[in-house]
Amino acid sequence: MITRIVSKNFEIPNSHTLAVAKANGVYESIDKAFTQPSYVIETEIENSGLRGKGGGGAPAGAKWCLATRAQEMDQTSAKSYLVVNADESEPGTFKDRQIMEFDPHLLIEGMMLTCYAIGAHDAYIYIRGEYKFFADRLNKAIQEAYDDGLLGKKVKGFDYRLDITVHRGAGAYICGEKSALIESLEGNRGHPRLKPHKPSPEYYFGAPTLVNNIETIATVPYIVTNGAAAYRQYGTEKSPGTLLFGLSGHINKPGIYEMAFGESMQAFIDTIGGGVKNGKKLKAVIPGGASTPILNAQEVKEARLDYESMKEIGSALGTGGMIIMDEDTCMVSALKNLLSFYHHESCGQCTPCREGTAWVDGIIANILNKKAKADDLELLSDISKTMNGKTICVFAPAVAMVIDGFILRFRDEFEAYIQKSLGEADA
Amino acid sequence: MPNMVNITVDDQKLKAPEGAILLQVLIDNGISVPHFCYHEALGPDGNCRMCMVEIEGQKRPQISCDTRVKKEMVVYTKNESINDLKRSILELELLSHPVDCPICDQAGECSLQDYYMEFGLNESRRPKEEKKLKDKKLDIGKNIILDQERCVLCARCTRFTQEITHTNELAIIGRGNDARVSTLPGQQMHTAYAMNIIDLCPVGALTSKDFRFRQRVWFMHSAPSICHGCAKGCNIHVDHNQEKYKSDTIFRFRPRINKSINGHFICDEGRLSYKQENEERLDDFYHQNRRISQENALSYLLRYLHDENTLFVVSPSLCTEELVIIQKLAERFDIKMNAYHDPYTDPDFGDDWLRSQDRASNLAAVKKLGIPTSKEELLIELGKTKVVVNFDHKALCENNAETQNMLVNKTQIHFVSHLFPECKNHELLLPIASYSEQKGTLINEDGILQKFEAGLCNEKKNLLELLHIINATPETVEQVWDEILAEKFGLAYETISAEGKQL
Repeated sequence: MITRIVSKNFEIPNSHTLAVAKANGVYESIDKAFTQPSYVIETEIENSGLRGKGGGGAPAGAKWCLATRAQEMDQTSAKSYLVVNADESEPGTFKDRQIMEFDPHLLIEGMMLTCYAIGAHDAYIYIRGEYKFFADRLNKAIQEAYDDGLLGKKVKGFDYRLDITVHRGAGAYICGEKSALIESLEGNRGHPRLKPHKPSPEYYFGAPTLVNNIETIATVPYIVTNGAAAYRQYGTEKSPGTLLFGLSGHINKPGIYEMAFGESMQAFIDTIGGGVKNGKKLKAVIPGGASTPILNAQEVKEARLDYESMKEIGSALGTGGMIIMDEDTCMVSALKNLLSFYHHESCGQCTPCREGTAWVDGIIANILNKKAKADDLELLSDISKTMNGKTICVFAPAVAMVIDGFILRFRDEFEAYIQKSLGEADA
Repeated sequence: MPNMVNITVDDQKLKAPEGAILLQVLIDNGISVPHFCYHEALGPDGNCRMCMVEIEGQKRPQISCDTRVKKEMVVYTKNESINDLKRSILELELLSHPVDCPICDQAGECSLQDYYMEFGLNESRRPKEEKKLKDKKLDIGKNIILDQERCVLCARCTRFTQEITHTNELAIIGRGNDARVSTLPGQQMHTAYAMNIIDLCPVGALTSKDFRFRQRVWFMHSAPSICHGCAKGCNIHVDHNQEKYKSDTIFRFRPRINKSINGHFICDEGRLSYKQENEERLDDFYHQNRRISQENALSYLLRYLHDENTLFVVSPSLCTEELVIIQKLAERFDIKMNAYHDPYTDPDFGDDWLRSQDRASNLAAVKKLGIPTSKEELLIELGKTKVVVNFDHKALCENNAETQNMLVNKTQIHFVSHLFPECKNHELLLPIASYSEQKGTLINEDGILQKFEAGLCNEKKNLLELLHIINATPETVEQVWDEILAEKFGLAYETISAEGKQL
């Protein structure tokens, strides 16, 4: 099941150093790419069907086109930027750090190709503040690349300037949202921006900017070297290629495994993950980072790991970071854990999210602490209705879907808790 | 010119400029759509989510502040699902609100209160001990008190300091329901326009230290007037009330929207200048420190008007009608006039926005009427005169050496609205109404002629009325225009619109 494209060098000792990386083929695509016109890369990416791997799964090629087209149309902005989103903070997701830890040069290579394709000469890596180790490692790799003439005034001898800067965030989950990320990068408070009404790139200090996830960018060298068709041989028609899938929670072999899209979730858990820990039964899986609706054991059996199939069964593939829960897991506590996170991380811009996340967190706390009221579940669904689809970004809708997902699938557990509270109140 | 297109709002056909902000179009057409964060001067921010409307063809309700007018757009602002939505957002806004309307100065002009009465009226579904407590009664400087618990985090105030004044004193700190407006640690508001955030605040989070607890807004009457603090001519509301057994008193000035002059804002100094209208006012006629009647005072005055050695010194802040009537009087008695302007120049006050270094509010009219303003001319005339009649000129009331030297050995007659040191010891002292008590017109530094209305209704005679008694000149502003100014300026009083008229 394992297909290694991004993770091919992960297990080589010292893979993060320039010497080892070069010995294993990193930076080989540069010579070919930089002698061709820049649109060739863009076309190849578009043909490959590469989808953004930060969770949304939007086609990367279309996004690149927006950035280049905006640049062409808007003659006043001579600049454009590439921003790599390394603000990996979704609970259950820990794939991007593997790239930074084990193959930072692959990322740099991908950035060089992407910048050349969209005509950017300055690129930023926005990394979450808590990732100090990874930021240090990246900086070290970037320094190596500069020293080796791979970056700077002349990229690998070609007449193309490229500078990469690592920017550490200050620890906000919302800064992984691309427009909030750019606000933060501009030095402002990380608040998502109002969404444009027609397809448009992001704008960093008024210049068209492409924001992509690390893993997306790290996939670019493979596609440039081997062509779109080679990438398309993996995965499904609509979800081509591979993804770094993650396993955590009650599982025997937690970790990051690169697989083509379209594999069975159950098979993945059982074979690669080694099954549920301590031989217990599977109860539920959060399929792709905390913000995707939870699946029960029955749904897991049917689930296939690509964007379309996951959507069909009422959840989302997200980042592919699966949280496995065994039969003893208390779903009310699990939801409380997630809601505490969202309560803490809501940026506080839009009313429904700012007040809603705090309120639902409080209600679940009450249910856990035997202070529940009879109509609490109804209240929760009321609030989640208000939070869904009425905010600037998708944070609140995600929370609403998480709540709805838990209550829809494990309503009896919540009701049992509420009954306990009510019984106690009567006594 | 924007392309006007047809749109339908709640089955009503409207014409609107294509591409305009839908919410503004709705507001301009008198369709009430609740909103907190949108403000015409600040533009959309999209955070409050109150201005949601349903648009045909869109699967979800949209915020109208971030929706642009399109041809043949069909909008619903009042159907049941939209009202439900407003109710649920309001419920969230009120979750941790202290609901202290009875002691809140915003009550009566509070959007949150109004919307709750219109859409909410729900019982709280959250126990009050779970409310999020924040800081109250924070003095953030410049007469502004911040109550974080009443705040709906619309960010109008922070956007004002960031986008309008560029002084960045305010920011939102904290995340989620811990978010709150705050100044930087240890710092305070310092912009000269700070108090505008009090008007911008749609709720009671920002209140004026000066106005707090002084008056319920629904008791007050409001008159459209113009700030007389400088030559900019910012439009203001004069909010006043006559409480039982007290005289009519002004409680505050608020900016009045005039897009061609001050937009939505005024400076703090202008805003607080209302105090001068209440305080230190001259009420009676005096002759050599003796209180006398109006009749006697005017007969004394007539005696001096017949004196050959009399000079009129007029304030360049008097309204156009007063200036022209004084000019008539001067012509009849063959008296020279001067509107000495130097004392009204204050370079420290001027800036490149709403504060002009010319602190006289009607210099343009003075010049239009051909009244001299220079010090040289004044000194020449003073050399020839024994009697000086002062029409509210501030320099002649100030106790500084320069003016006292100029006036040494002169017989002084003062038409003034306010008391000043030693004023009663002068030959003759005549009280007149101040600008907040009368109507008139001013021409600002950009040549815009504007009307202002009388606010206070105290029984003080204004200058026109007093001069009418001795000279039978027109008694009211309308008469002055009919008989003199209409011809002089080539336009009728009635044609001066609320926005003013560019001359």
